[in-house]
Amino acid sequence: MNRTFDDLAKQKLETINCTMCGYCKAVCPVFIDVGWDSASPRGRMTLAYGLLTGEIEPDISIADRLFQCTNCTDCMRRCPSGAKCPEVVRAARREMVKLGFVRPAQQALVGNIETTGNIFADPELNLPEQDGPNLLFIGCQHLSRPNATKKTIRLLDRIGIQVGIMTEVCCGFPLDVMGFTEAHAAQKQRFEDRFRADGRPVITLCPSCLVHLREHYQPSTSHILQEIDRRLDTITMLPQSGTVTYHDPCDLSRGAKIIDEPRRILKKMGYDLVEMSTSGNQSRCCGGGGGILTWDSEISDHLSRRRIEEAVATGADMIVTACATCEQTLKKGTRMYAEQSGTQPIPVRHLLDLLSKALA
Amino acid sequence: MASIPLRNPSPEALEKLSRIVGPERIRTTPAELYVYAFNAGMHRAMPGAVVQPMDPFQISAIVSLANEYNFVIIPRGSGTSLCGHTAAVAGGLVIDLQGMNRIKEIEPGDLICVVEPGVVCDRLNAALKKHRFFIPGPASSEVATLGGMVASNSSGDKALKYGATRDYVLGMEAVMPTGEIVRFGTRTIKNSSGYQMEKLMVGMEGTLGIITEITLRMAPLPQKTAACVASFEHLSQAGRTVAEIIGVPILPVQLELMSRACIEAVNKATKLNLPPAGGMLLIACDGHPEAVRTEIEAIRTICSRNEAFRVDYTEDPKRIDELWKGRKQMIPSLSALKPEFATVMLADDMAVPISRVPEAIVGFEEIERQYDILIPTYGHAGDGNLHTKVLLDPENPDHWKQAERAVESIYDLVLKLGGTVTGEHGVAMSKAEYFKKERADSIPFMRAIKHALDPRNIMNPYKIFDWDDGFLSHLRYPVEVSK
Ligand SMILES: Cc1cc2nc3c(=O)[nH]c(=O)nc-3n(C[C@H](O)[C@H](O)[C@H](O)COP(=O)(O)OP(=O)(O)OC[C@H]3O[C@@H](n4cnc5c(N)ncnc54)[C@H](O)[C@@H]3O)c2cc1C
Repeated sequence: MNRTFDDLAKQKLETINCTMCGYCKAVCPVFIDVGWDSASPRGRMTLAYGLLTGEIEPDISIADRLFQCTNCTDCMRRCPSGAKCPEVVRAARREMVKLGFVRPAQQALVGNIETTGNIFADPELNLPEQDGPNLLFIGCQHLSRPNATKKTIRLLDRIGIQVGIMTEVCCGFPLDVMGFTEAHAAQKQRFEDRFRADGRPVITLCPSCLVHLREHYQPSTSHILQEIDRRLDTITMLPQSGTVTYHDPCDLSRGAKIIDEPRRILKKMGYDLVEMSTSGNQSRCCGGGGGILTWDSEISDHLSRRRIEEAVATGADMIVTACATCEQTLKKGTRMYAEQSGTQPIPVRHLLDLLSKALA
Repeated sequence: MASIPLRNPSPEALEKLSRIVGPERIRTTPAELYVYAFNAGMHRAMPGAVVQPMDPFQISAIVSLANEYNFVIIPRGSGTSLCGHTAAVAGGLVIDLQGMNRIKEIEPGDLICVVEPGVVCDRLNAALKKHRFFIPGPASSEVATLGGMVASNSSGDKALKYGATRDYVLGMEAVMPTGEIVRFGTRTIKNSSGYQMEKLMVGMEGTLGIITEITLRMAPLPQKTAACVASFEHLSQAGRTVAEIIGVPILPVQLELMSRACIEAVNKATKLNLPPAGGMLLIACDGHPEAVRTEIEAIRTICSRNEAFRVDYTEDPKRIDELWKGRKQMIPSLSALKPEFATVMLADDMAVPISRVPEAIVGFEEIERQYDILIPTYGHAGDGNLHTKVLLDPENPDHWKQAERAVESIYDLVLKLGGTVTGEHGVAMSKAEYFKKERADSIPFMRAIKHALDPRNIMNPYKIFDWDDGFLSHLRYPVEVSK
């Protein structure tokens, strides 16, 4: 059948420039887990190429491989030819969604955002508005943990950052990454309608909101850890003790290049920091990214378990991260790991929660 | 070549295969078949099914089935080979060995290790490092499997001193094309026991059987490495220097030569700031600290005698790392010269006698000027192995035709200089035509061996001496090139 994939066609050069060297296979967490070549970034590039040339017909086996990507972008970091595999995957996903390859969990998430403006379908999900020279964009995940987030806002206040808060709507990141073009465009519009007139500098809490806002809204958007790090010399904290390992959220490390800031903060807090076998811009995904939870939660479970194994091997007493999704995924991973190994689960904490405690 | 009849497993055979490996380990979905048609080279062809067996008994049963049902088998590791090795030109069953990836033994006292074929080279080296040993690998070592390395006799930038994969294979277990599980070679460092069957399996490109276990010797990790970079006004001076160093004799661990075009490309793409020069040598020596110092001193003297206008020396591991990273950046750097073109693997790894390297490079540059395509050259001058990259528009049939003529001229020159069409990557499809020119005398014997071991032509057929269709067929790009 003759189809035209307009979105994917824009990525044709990428698919041809991929030399298929396969270096991405060494870093792709999904390939490492699944083991079939079609589950590697090189495999996904090939599938995208096949769709474009019309040599393969879209089917569920292809949709599976495309939606199993966690969008961790480590393939792009490693690629000697600089091929942008994650972008190709997103474009291919958009085509698959248009053709109806959609899972109920994805549909539910889209519906939640469309009807309530947030991923949890919670009409009450917002904090009271307040005024301030900076705008804090909290994001759905942090809005869903209001007590912790209120402490974070107090923390900001104490270190001299006054933030304004508006009634929020989802930034649209999940729709974009899952390939729901129309829903994403509509959400983007809703988001812009609310924030367009607001020229204040934006600070985010969530790494994914950060990269999405930088790309679609305000390129200078900053992350809260950058703000804290900038003021680190002037902040006094209750000294903490213990050995921790830090899990880099993909969107924060590879996406926003925020790698040293959380580490400097942890050291300043008094923790001994040990690194996992993959960290910084080479950090392995926790299994929670790219919408994989809405497509194949089994792979997600495997990935988080593997990440916990890496963390346990460091001998740390605690895993710290800076993303609420990573935190949840890793917590699930520690429970599974503990059950299977008959050990006590290693605690997982959000860095912002630790900071709120240390500054209290 | 007349069109090749497909020999895919029949539905009945698929049913039986599924019983052998289990339904989870056999795939016939469009996604899998399409992806397994491809590899890192420029050729592709789709198999009829893919399996991931977990032990030699399953493989033996699969091969027996292939003989019974007359379907083709293509063994496959990571699929990083560059010459169409794993393209299923007659359809068939791909046996993906990546799941058989246990490191079974590391015996420092015996100087050996034993691995399954799907073990990735870098993973083995990480395990060997704890015992202060290593095995030299190809540039693709982070993904290449030991099975693939043995079956294509891979080697990398340390071959001058440490040799190729061939030199590390002491023994193996394999499933032969008729289904028997056999053991070849030994666990000993020496062995004069008749025909070296284990060496026959090296470089056979999946045409003589499936390797299911490999016994390898290991090399001790050197205590120290030092490097120097020498810049010359003329490429010929650099070339003379190489031959003189080797003739001392000194065997550096790495000896790389870069032409002016390559230096410019690296400088354009990186911040390395290499001094502009007509030719440059990157030389590294390793071993006992005293020996390394003496060798490097001698090398510096030779460079100066050959009028190097600058010789930098370093023992700093960070700087050495930086220099070799720059060298490794060569491939992307060259691709960046013309971002709208694709780099294709053509005439990519020939080797000439060490002293003829400068002549080869000058000759390639001449050929590049004759045809309107970009063919930058760089190479492991120390072992005579040269790499070129052809940059072209893969959708333009004229570019392919020009490439065909340029490649032919390159190989003619290589053979005239006493070289070989492939020093590292193998023959498979893309080099078959020129390989047959190079090894005319060997071909009847190779055919006889193939026929004796694989009478039904089950194992990866139509490769090496049996590929008659040049390199412009089964291209992976959306282009038709007329013959
Ligand atoms: C960027 C890049 C750089 C490279 N650099 C080098 C280099 O420096 N030197 C070099 O020599 N090569 C190099 N190569 C080529 C390639 O990586 C090597 O030849 C590698 O050893 C192939 O390993 P593989 O696991 O990918 O094998 P595959 O590509 O899967 O297979 C290679 C061949 O071996 C056969 N085979 C695989 N496993 C088995 C088995 N268990 N039993 C029987 N047959 C088997 C296959 O049928 C096929 O014919 C490079 C490739 C790339 C993409």
